[in-house]
Amino acid sequence: MITDSTIQGQQLRPAADKNQSLVLTPLQDMKGFLLHHIGRMLLFLITCSSVVLVLLIFFFVIRQALPFFTKFSLIEFLTTKSWYPEAATPKFGALSLIVGSLYVTISALVFAVPTGILAAIFLSDIVSLKIRDFVKPVIEILAAIPSVAYGFFAVLVLAPWMQNKWGFTTGTNALNASIILSIMALPTIISVAEDSISAVGRELREASYGLGATRFETIFKVVMPAAHSGIIAAIVLGMMRAIGETMVVWMASGNANQIPSPWWDLSQSVRTMTATIAGDMGETPKDSPHYWSLFAIGVVLLAMTFLLNIISEYFLASAKKKTGKS
Amino acid sequence: MRPIIRQITDKAFTFLTGTSVVLLTFVLLIVLGPMVWRGAKAVIFKDTVEFRKMQLDLYNRGNPASLKIQNTEAESFRKIVYETIDTFKHGIDTEELIDRTKQIYRQFGKELRYKGITGEEYQKIRSLARELRDKLQAAFESNDKKIIKENVDYVLQYRLYKDLADTAAAEFFTLAEDFLKSIENIDLNKRQQYAGSLEQVEEIVFRLLGPKPSEPLPALTMDRYGATRWDLAQKLLDKLLWSEQWIQKEAGQPLVKIRVSRAEEFAGTKLEPLFSYVQNNLDKMLLPGPRFYWQYFIDDSTPGHYFGGVGPEILGTLLLTLLAMLFVFPLGVISAAYLVECASDNIAVRIIRMCINTLAGVPSIVFGLFGLAFFVLFFIPLFGGPSKPCILASSLTLAVLTLPVMIRASEEAIRSVPQSYKEASLGLGASRFRTFVKVTLPVALPGILTGVILSLSRVAGETAPILFTGAVALGPLPKSLFDPTRTLSYGSYDIAVGDRLAMMVPHNQYGMVVTLVFLILCLNTIAIVLRARVFRKLRGN
Repeated sequence: MITDSTIQGQQLRPAADKNQSLVLTPLQDMKGFLLHHIGRMLLFLITCSSVVLVLLIFFFVIRQALPFFTKFSLIEFLTTKSWYPEAATPKFGALSLIVGSLYVTISALVFAVPTGILAAIFLSDIVSLKIRDFVKPVIEILAAIPSVAYGFFAVLVLAPWMQNKWGFTTGTNALNASIILSIMALPTIISVAEDSISAVGRELREASYGLGATRFETIFKVVMPAAHSGIIAAIVLGMMRAIGETMVVWMASGNANQIPSPWWDLSQSVRTMTATIAGDMGETPKDSPHYWSLFAIGVVLLAMTFLLNIISEYFLASAKKKTGKS
Repeated sequence: MRPIIRQITDKAFTFLTGTSVVLLTFVLLIVLGPMVWRGAKAVIFKDTVEFRKMQLDLYNRGNPASLKIQNTEAESFRKIVYETIDTFKHGIDTEELIDRTKQIYRQFGKELRYKGITGEEYQKIRSLARELRDKLQAAFESNDKKIIKENVDYVLQYRLYKDLADTAAAEFFTLAEDFLKSIENIDLNKRQQYAGSLEQVEEIVFRLLGPKPSEPLPALTMDRYGATRWDLAQKLLDKLLWSEQWIQKEAGQPLVKIRVSRAEEFAGTKLEPLFSYVQNNLDKMLLPGPRFYWQYFIDDSTPGHYFGGVGPEILGTLLLTLLAMLFVFPLGVISAAYLVECASDNIAVRIIRMCINTLAGVPSIVFGLFGLAFFVLFFIPLFGGPSKPCILASSLTLAVLTLPVMIRASEEAIRSVPQSYKEASLGLGASRFRTFVKVTLPVALPGILTGVILSLSRVAGETAPILFTGAVALGPLPKSLFDPTRTLSYGSYDIAVGDRLAMMVPHNQYGMVVTLVFLILCLNTIAIVLRARVFRKLRGN
């Protein structure tokens, strides 16, 4: 039998000199088997930490929100507009906050989706690799700039400019927030959409060109339908980025608790869910209805992004299936 | 469709896609350009003697001897400004003059009492002094030059009166004479208007030159120094030379802003020469010089970031990010290793992947809520720590936030190691563990490092998760991991919207955010370069 120490002692010798049987003893076999499985198990457990963390997030956020849902009605929370958390008889109607979030998100997408998809097409189908290498860093830098810097730009550069040059009553409004959010959503949309557009094979394109189609026709009638799942996933991911964004909307949207009327008037101030949490949490005593209500908003936000996440996963998976590549 | 229309559509489409990319580049320039330009002024600018004084007082930096010489030189030019204002004020400030007469009268009364004169005499002299006082006051208060002349002349006829000469009351006469002289060129009806404008002028001079050398030092640090920067001095000079007024040009129209020259406003008075004097001698009063203020990145700041730099903010940001990396690095690499090397496509792995994606999609503010509910209120107290926002809670929250980024980047790096490397190692009889540690990991390490740097840059810029878990806008340097800290990201938010005082120092506002952006872009550039090298190497060049 060869013990560990003799193996250690022989380590420096050439392998050919090894006086060692190639067949392992049952004990060594057992040891290796156990080590392999224990190690694997350990790695698996560590990897499960992501699962644990997701569960913890859901558990702790919902736990803090539970007292709110037991004391106040969920229906009222989701359908009424009056948000007076510090009044003598507090009212928690989060409708205008939810609408505010969706409002800036959707108007951001109105700017970002066409630009993003056009840019993705430009990168994947139109320019040479050289120009691509030049444009890619631009997008990466746009993605890397922290949200608070965008918010800073919105408040100190864009807002005064809007107020003075465009004659808006206030510079911090839904339009300001939407413009900045669309800039922030663009890198996500471009990179995911470009991946899925490039993943559509050369064969389809060449067949289309071979039939005499122009580039415009090829892209719109062949490539885009083939890549539609990936593009939808890109839009959903961009939406997730916009709806969960805090600093920009907090700084740039004006934080007025209202639903714009008429609905298309972007020059009015709105307040979003994220901005409400960020703005109110600092001034709320722990374990008060107001405190719980902010966690309740967090739950709504969590549910929304979870839903969007599942949708994007579905579309990404179906895009993968269709093109056979990721 | 006709071919020509198809051609045009095609070209137009190509043009449109190109435009979108140009737009992107344009947006990047618009966002970064003005910010970097204004932020650079926090470090590179023209300073003044006030700045050097501030640096010496607050940070003990610079040469006291040469500063003293500069100071005396500047003082000699400033003296004229103070003198001009003082003489003008004599003729204008009725209340001060009246106060002065009352003071003289009271002092004279005291003097008389100890002179050892009879009661009758005392009464007589005293009533005379009272009469003089009242006449002078009437002169000071009047707007009519004739009345003033009458009253002052009445007072002056007692100039040689022996009971008043060489006493405190003698000052009545100098006061009267000064007053006559100072009102010579003044339109007395404008006195009210002058007084208001004079107050503004004094305030601007105070901001420009700091407190008068004779006056006690103000309590606030920001009031102790005049214009520390030449660009600020220029702005103040403009304010000094021109006053802004809102007037109505036509009835029913909104008010219009106009600029009125203060020299014209004070035309014909003693104050008039002040404006051209300040304009011509400002550089001699402030002694501007170029400065590269690199200490901006290590200096602490006074409240409101009025003076000083972003040292504590940089320190706090580095502390938070590095600590977060310390937590997330092992977790991320091990998870990635398992997912690449061991995992088969079973239900458990699918759930893990889904959870990683979910984690990546959770909004950052919800991470903040989670950090508050879990780390601050539950986890840290569980181990006996204090239940309050602190560095540890912040960095743990940030670690959770960046876990998916870390896992994805490491996974990609490990996956990109060629299969042949692993097979060669396995073929030599090495175990899978040994293969991973000795072969796969070293090859994948630069790629993993790229992931680490990208997560670092993500973490450094995050604000929402640390709002409730450990960031403060003002406060001392942290002494332990259980103290809250200042960070660049939260500081940028606070300096942009939270702090009124910061509005007065735009260079410091922009300086803070540009420091943050610069830090993050540097990290990103390193990551991009590193990734390109790894890519080349693995391809076999």
